[in-house]
Amino acid sequence: MAGMIKKMLDEIIAKRSKGDVTMMNLTKAKLIFKGLNPDRFTNTSEDDPEMIKKIKAAAQEMGVSI
Amino acid sequence: MNIKTSYSINQNVDDAVKEISSGLNIISPRAVLYFGSSDFNPDELSGKMQSAFGDSLVFGCTTSGEITSGKMLDNSVVAMGLNSSVVQNIKIEVLENITDNSIAAVEKAFKAFEDHYGIPMQELDPGKYIGLILVDGLSGAEERIMDRIGDLTNITFIGGAAGDNLNFKQTHVFADGKKYSNSALLALIKVGVPFDIIKTQSFKPLDITLTATKVNEARREVIEFNGRPAVQEYASALGIRAEKASDYFMTNPVGLMVGDDLYVRSPQRVEGNSMIFYCNILEGMELTLLQSEDIVKETKKALDEKEKGFGKFAGVINFNCILRTLELKAKQQTDDYGQLFGNVPTAGFSTYGEELVGHINQTATLLVFK
Repeated sequence: MAGMIKKMLDEIIAKRSKGDVTMMNLTKAKLIFKGLNPDRFTNTSEDDPEMIKKIKAAAQEMGVSI
Repeated sequence: MNIKTSYSINQNVDDAVKEISSGLNIISPRAVLYFGSSDFNPDELSGKMQSAFGDSLVFGCTTSGEITSGKMLDNSVVAMGLNSSVVQNIKIEVLENITDNSIAAVEKAFKAFEDHYGIPMQELDPGKYIGLILVDGLSGAEERIMDRIGDLTNITFIGGAAGDNLNFKQTHVFADGKKYSNSALLALIKVGVPFDIIKTQSFKPLDITLTATKVNEARREVIEFNGRPAVQEYASALGIRAEKASDYFMTNPVGLMVGDDLYVRSPQRVEGNSMIFYCNILEGMELTLLQSEDIVKETKKALDEKEKGFGKFAGVINFNCILRTLELKAKQQTDDYGQLFGNVPTAGFSTYGEELVGHINQTATLLVFK
């Protein structure tokens, strides 16, 4: 399976920013500081279980349900 | 006038505080922010600054150099008074024992902010509220604090890490007439005038990526870049000999890219084949090698660009990295840098790290008011 990581990161950004472009960039920056760079993943990126676990933890820390 | 600054180079605390209060009390400040040399007795400075301003909320930290309108100083106290037109409401929280307790301390502070303002931190309007952070620059807790803050709110928290004149022994933050070490201070302000932030770092990215493939996060240590010993790979990227690597740390740090924007991570020293940084780098982080540019020129450009859209600044708080200050001193540019802020009430200090989104280096983070 592929594409899950990008989908999850996009969902975190969308839910935290609520469509506000400034907040989208800010949330993306926060994710990059956590070592989760949305630009590194595409719809064809492999669903790495370790990475998915990290993203779920980050979402929880950020108060976002995905 | 809503914002006023004052400073003193007097080495006697009583005289310095008197000089500052006579400069600021003319606007009846709601809040007084001050930055003082670590050469002053911290108990005395904090206590006397609070006494001098009665009902105002008075807070600050120790430094490795101070900045005021038109000047970069050493062994001084600089202060900014903001009246109630600017600071409509303010709540200050001190986070103690941050080396062991940073996450819980941030959560406790945020609960206090929510109780004070009656609004969840996630729902506060980032256009009306700003957070300031002053943090012990020797705690090593800066990243954890900024990360948790970012988790819990969209409000911008901007600030710097307290210094101690490059002694690297003890730094302090000041609040309630007291001094705190191993602590951070968060101030959440409801601002009554337009405000904005500036981040300027005077570097250009080179087209070279160094991926941290092995790190010791707790030690801020990069053991390997691109699967090779960190120092060797860094030196190869610059085309220099590994034993010369540390000579290039000031001019060629690395940057975490967020789109076209960059957040500087500065190497501190070589340890074996590893590189120790002034902020942490996570395993897998892709970093871009940077090349230094002229600090004064780039800072002027950043100020001019912001002022073009924002309008004339009525006040500036400047958190300027000590590494930038050292470079300005080495190039005899401190007067030029000070003059960039010659026409606007400015208070700031030379930090042990700047705070904006995360803990960053070789950057100036500035809060500007209209």
